[in-house]
Amino acid sequence: MTAGPEPPRAPGGREAPIRDVRVRRRRSRAIGANVFRTGIAVACAFSILAVGGGWWQVVEAQRLATSPDNPAVIAIARRSLRGPIVDRNGQWLARSGRDDNGEATREYRDATVSHVVGYASRKYGTAGLERAFNAELLGLAGTDPFGDLTQKFNGPSDRRLGLQLSLDLRLQRAAIKALGTDKGAVIMLDPRTGEILALASTPTYDASAIADPATATKAFERLQADDDRPLLPRSTLGRYVPGSVFKIVTGIAALDSGAVEPSTTFPEQPPAEAKGLVVEGFRIRDGHHPQAGDTALDMTGATEVSCNIWYALAGLRTGGDRLVDEAAKLGFGATLPFELPTAISSVTSGKGNGPGGFSDDAELASASFGQGETFVTPLQMALVASTVANDGVLMKPHVVTALTGEGPGARVVSPEQWRRVMSEDDARALQAAMQEAVEVDLGRGFTPGARVTGVSTAGKSGTAELGGKGEPHSWFIGFAPVENPKVAIAVLVERGGRGGERAAPLAGAMMATYFELYGKP
Amino acid sequence: MSAVAQARPLAGFRLHPRPRTTELALLALVAVTLAVGGASLGATQQLREATRTGVELSALDFTPPDAQGLLVYLGALITVHLAFVLAGRRTDQVLFPVAAMLGGIGLLLMQRLPQELVTQSFGSAELGLGQLQLAWLLVALTVITVLALFVRSDAWLRTYKYTWAAVGIGLLLLVFVLGSEVNGARLSLSVGPISGQPSELLKVILVVFLAGYLSENRALLADESTRIGPLSLPPLPYLAPMVAMWAIALGIVVVQRDLGAALLFFAVFLGLLYIATGRPSYVIGGLVLFVAGAFVLYNLFGHVQARVDNWLDPWADPQGAGFQVVQALYAFGRGGILGVGLGAGLPLIGGRLPVPAVHSDYPLAALGEELGLVGLLAILGLYLVLVTRGLRIAAAGHDEFRSLLAAGLALVIGVQAFIIAAGNLKLIPLTGITLPFISYGGSSLLANALVVGLLLALSDRGSEPPPAPRDPRRPFRRFRLGRARA
Repeated sequence: MTAGPEPPRAPGGREAPIRDVRVRRRRSRAIGANVFRTGIAVACAFSILAVGGGWWQVVEAQRLATSPDNPAVIAIARRSLRGPIVDRNGQWLARSGRDDNGEATREYRDATVSHVVGYASRKYGTAGLERAFNAELLGLAGTDPFGDLTQKFNGPSDRRLGLQLSLDLRLQRAAIKALGTDKGAVIMLDPRTGEILALASTPTYDASAIADPATATKAFERLQADDDRPLLPRSTLGRYVPGSVFKIVTGIAALDSGAVEPSTTFPEQPPAEAKGLVVEGFRIRDGHHPQAGDTALDMTGATEVSCNIWYALAGLRTGGDRLVDEAAKLGFGATLPFELPTAISSVTSGKGNGPGGFSDDAELASASFGQGETFVTPLQMALVASTVANDGVLMKPHVVTALTGEGPGARVVSPEQWRRVMSEDDARALQAAMQEAVEVDLGRGFTPGARVTGVSTAGKSGTAELGGKGEPHSWFIGFAPVENPKVAIAVLVERGGRGGERAAPLAGAMMATYFELYGKP
Repeated sequence: MSAVAQARPLAGFRLHPRPRTTELALLALVAVTLAVGGASLGATQQLREATRTGVELSALDFTPPDAQGLLVYLGALITVHLAFVLAGRRTDQVLFPVAAMLGGIGLLLMQRLPQELVTQSFGSAELGLGQLQLAWLLVALTVITVLALFVRSDAWLRTYKYTWAAVGIGLLLLVFVLGSEVNGARLSLSVGPISGQPSELLKVILVVFLAGYLSENRALLADESTRIGPLSLPPLPYLAPMVAMWAIALGIVVVQRDLGAALLFFAVFLGLLYIATGRPSYVIGGLVLFVAGAFVLYNLFGHVQARVDNWLDPWADPQGAGFQVVQALYAFGRGGILGVGLGAGLPLIGGRLPVPAVHSDYPLAALGEELGLVGLLAILGLYLVLVTRGLRIAAAGHDEFRSLLAAGLALVIGVQAFIIAAGNLKLIPLTGITLPFISYGGSSLLANALVVGLLLALSDRGSEPPPAPRDPRRPFRRFRLGRARA
């Protein structure tokens, strides 16, 4: 060990032995100061620990302590009764009881609301509103971080809250029935308040079977193995090619950014009808030539006949940046502020280098009529319809209207404006265009059946071509009555065929049911 | 070698009692705290059981779950104190009560956890977690007492630093060859019924070696520079033997996958280097090396990568890889500011613990839940007091070796507590390292007892003066003298 490596070349010009003595004296005094500084460093490190402790035990404590996966919460859930969940008319949707052993049980009224209400299972955890409001339903919400000492030993069941929903069980059942054996989604909401009236997805599942320990394993494993994915709430988490219903988003973006007026016509549109419009080598075609002929269409006309070329040109004039920005005002590009988890709707994959993340103008042009790299959730499209219906103001969507009961956190959830997306004039122009699309002869060639007898109806159908063989997705978004909209709707039927053939009549029937239940204007 | 430097630990031992009032007062505080804690624990467990079975209690019984064990521990503390008083050495009076408090908190925790978590049979007697921890605590107290009473000279440490280093590395190699593998890491060595983790002992040996080497070469390390072009670097040749020794230890530890110990060694090494030289450039350079090393480890070893990824987002796999991390955070969250109370935390889910390694890796999560943020801060404060006392002893040291030794021992405790606490609190990736004095485990308790015992011995203001400083005996000294003459 004593055999050291090669000595260094001593820095020249200084007398090493003399310096050695001086240095030793200076450094012996310095060691105390070094120790002191090290102590300060250790103290700083420990204060970081203290901050970390404060973060988890004060700032994050409530979230952690009431997390549905927290074993303490699971243990409480085993014993405690959960609060009831009821629809807007007080019809029970979920309720709790006790079995012979005194353990809590949960019962669900109807498979039609399973994708909203979800389930609370001992074995498989929670889903839907049962998960989102787990702490409130169990009575764990509102415990202050200072710890309510009297609560330490008693079950917290007396603090549990119930949920009142804006859903109408009758509409929900009608929607599931109308979708039948198809896979799809129906969303109805009040555009003035953002209250969700129906949030249906098919196929649905029996939540009671998952909640019942006797049947849970068999039921859950069968559902998980099912290729139709019945556990997926398609209305909020399904992402679909939108097809022509996306033209309304393009219209909002084009009008609000000032790129086009409702009266704008494109001289290059009529000649392109026959052979298609070529954008960067990509040919955009239309199918409405027999109806519209060689007339240069304005926005209303283009909406009526669902003109891909007019909307492609409008999208190109708006530009990728502004299209993405305006869509973001409608909720694209992020999860929605909603009680249930939502998938992110996107105008483009964002991987391109063009403005807004489009790869080129061909993608932008295709996206403008909903056939690019655009993917949307049915709920997002319902919000688009709702925004147009509510004169350009987007209300925050919500399905819980009140947390009921005695415990802390009980409250009424009031309608809340999310943001104004466009001016009232622009919204009116789109309302008129969408009304023409449903009610005027040309448009009815595309959306027969959406019209509700005796009520003015506006809407837009969509036929989302998926490439390859197989039927396209069938879409419709709309609202009624046009003068004073009370209900907005979005319908998606997976592989349902043309929008006018499947989704539009389904929407018409749903709106008719709504006006039967709530009275015509 | 002078006669003073001869190791004669027993020489001059006489009884001349000297009262230690500070220590007595602090120990009284420890006794009261532990008694109240035990009573609260007993009552809570009883109440929980009654709530679960639906029995109405007429009165609460405040008997601790293992009253006998607690009494034995408190009795041992008093015995140690009396021994200190009788021996009459003027050693630090705060270190022992603080260590005793931490050990007591650990004992209460081990008595409160399911006893079958760790069991060991001695003949017909089977000891559970709490009893085993008590046994190890008693051994640790003995070690502290022996060191604090009988170590009067440090020559046996400073003279044989290379021997100690060789012993330490030999131990590690022994583990590597003969050790038993747990969770993919070879950490422990079994001799009969007793198994230990030599890396715990190695940390003390490393400090002894570093203190010895640095005190001899301090002036040179502090002031010499190797010039390479415009760069002024540390004197590489002087550093080489020490860095080599450190790298061997570190390498073995990395090969054994004991990341926590590697991190501890590295941090203590840097800390001591700074204290010896006062050159922040060493620390900065060391941190750069650390980042580079961490990067290489991350890309080279799957288990390191998994650890780090799991730290960054434990919620990605909350039922699998992220389970412990997430469950520990839930425990902290449940605790809040005041805690749920001793004995009221950690509900068993289907008969198993939510945090499986709670007694070794996650005691702080359990204590954070039951004692809350207040308790967590108090425990962190206790460690800080230990470190501060150690550093005070270092600052008052007779010579550089004693200063560096004391500082290194203090840093070992502080850095180890920091690493595991930060891991529990998800500030850094979790590494399997024990919380000093609190975690279950004989090796850990013994190693930390060595630390406290040595610190106590070093703090004696009446101890022998250190041996006369030796000049560095290195080839380059001769070389330089020759050059100066020329």
